[in-house]
Amino acid sequence: MDKQRPIPAWPIYFGLETEFGIAVRENAEIDVVEESIHLVRAAAQLGSPNLWDYTREDPHRDARGFRAKELRQDGDEANFFSQDRQRPYSFEEIKSDFVLRNGARFYNDHTHPEYSTPECSTLLELVAQDKAGERILEECARAASRKRNHTVCLYKNNTDFAGHSYGCHENYLIPRMIPWDRLVEGMMGFLVTRQIFGGAGKLGWEKEDQGMVGGFQISQRADFFTELVGIDTMNRRPLINTRDEPHANPKLYRRFHVIVGDSNLSEYATWLKIGTTALVLEALQYDRVPRRFFLADPLYAHRSISRDRTNRWEIELAHSGSTTAAQLQNDYADWVGRYVDLDHPEKRAVWKSWKETVELLQTNPDSLRDRLDWVAKRSLLETFREEQKLSWDDPWLQSVDLEYHLVDRAQGLYYALESAGEIARISREEDIYRAIQQPPNASRAYVRGKCIQKFARDLVNVQWDYIAFRWKGQTYRLELSSAFPGVDLERYCEVIDRAQIVSYMIEELKLEPISG
Amino acid sequence: MLMPEQVQKNHPVVPGPGPGGEGPGPRAPRVDRPNTEEILKRMRKVDPDQAKRYRQRTGE
Repeated sequence: MDKQRPIPAWPIYFGLETEFGIAVRENAEIDVVEESIHLVRAAAQLGSPNLWDYTREDPHRDARGFRAKELRQDGDEANFFSQDRQRPYSFEEIKSDFVLRNGARFYNDHTHPEYSTPECSTLLELVAQDKAGERILEECARAASRKRNHTVCLYKNNTDFAGHSYGCHENYLIPRMIPWDRLVEGMMGFLVTRQIFGGAGKLGWEKEDQGMVGGFQISQRADFFTELVGIDTMNRRPLINTRDEPHANPKLYRRFHVIVGDSNLSEYATWLKIGTTALVLEALQYDRVPRRFFLADPLYAHRSISRDRTNRWEIELAHSGSTTAAQLQNDYADWVGRYVDLDHPEKRAVWKSWKETVELLQTNPDSLRDRLDWVAKRSLLETFREEQKLSWDDPWLQSVDLEYHLVDRAQGLYYALESAGEIARISREEDIYRAIQQPPNASRAYVRGKCIQKFARDLVNVQWDYIAFRWKGQTYRLELSSAFPGVDLERYCEVIDRAQIVSYMIEELKLEPISG
Repeated sequence: MLMPEQVQKNHPVVPGPGPGGEGPGPRAPRVDRPNTEEILKRMRKVDPDQAKRYRQRTGE
């Protein structure tokens, strides 16, 4: 493990799963599933395919204490599966599920190439790993374009402007001792109003399967949420998702799964979005939020904040009149400050930036165009609209919106801003380059990534919480469900750093064979 | 906050952002006079119908 100037790990794992949009520049009628298969396979040099164990996944398990008989998306999934069975590919070939040398997972989720960062325990690492995902996909698009003789375009956004959304999900591994009801009431107002700094901006309004003219709004995803609390993720999406797959000891841990956020190009927006959410979750271990934080109508507030062109973002409270989204975020920050250790350097930096950002959102939001995606994008659109004398409903502006999200740094509009020096950075390029090649240090992903680097041919299965090896005709399983900083992780990392062959790990960690 | 299995254990550290005295927070943009003409050039090259043609399956 690297030994440099240290930042303490957060006692929490966080990770991001991002579905990317895919298109071919020269042909709108192209089969995007076929393109996605070829795209993901271009990552072969960075990882190993077909190791993922689906048998330990159960998206029907609900945090409210039951197992859902069916999800609303089961029909859609079956429909997609039926269509995809007509293709000349096996299930494994369509999935093209790779575990990468940096501990990430990269695969084809029906149509969308999906990059799941390795679990991280510092924000600095998470931002670098998220950007590493962009760079990996950018290179895969180049390789697929060369091979397919056309231009594959990848978009880190969440909509096609015609009522089809795809997600950027956040994961926070937290103690299960925090009561579920406390999480729901505590996170609702926070997540609804967080879009004022986490939103990626969108031109137009949508509902399922339909796009509409409607001007600029601050969130890509707000149009697609119609339920308060629920287990679904593809239809009738809820503000609070109840999927209960901790990928760790379920008696001790919960993975809080946030599906309401936008995909961010801005490193600062990612850093602030994840950091503030982790701070609120940490404070909820100690107390409930005050009742004055409860919203009268969270679903209405969610959309009205996104669509409010005045930037006042007024919202009705359940028990005490009204407030604004910015003021409520400020109240959350003050409340968090009573419980969280702000001597921790990353927590302190996030908390201070949270307060400063919320203040600027109230006094001078345009000054945040170097940090927040929606402000940067609105500024770009406004500049272009004035130059070309376009109305806000001109479709050219929606195309400019789309190109903001292009991951090709030579063509994308976000990257035009970044290369012009107009965007604040969190990661250095060397952090990102390292994150493409290496897993995060203080994480069980370190063990996963190093196993891919050292023993790929000996692996038989991988999941977030275990790795299975084959050695001399027998299978051995290394459980990672307790591989956390300060628990088992350090020992596992030391062993894999020394290991040259897989048998060394098996002996040192005293792994027993699980089958012949 | 301590995770359940971390109570009374020492926490490890991960590498910091490296030399230069930078903390773990954001760094300001590096130039005062951005090249806005280059950005406008890229926007002018955007196909006006690109978004109309862009259609995706619903994801999660």
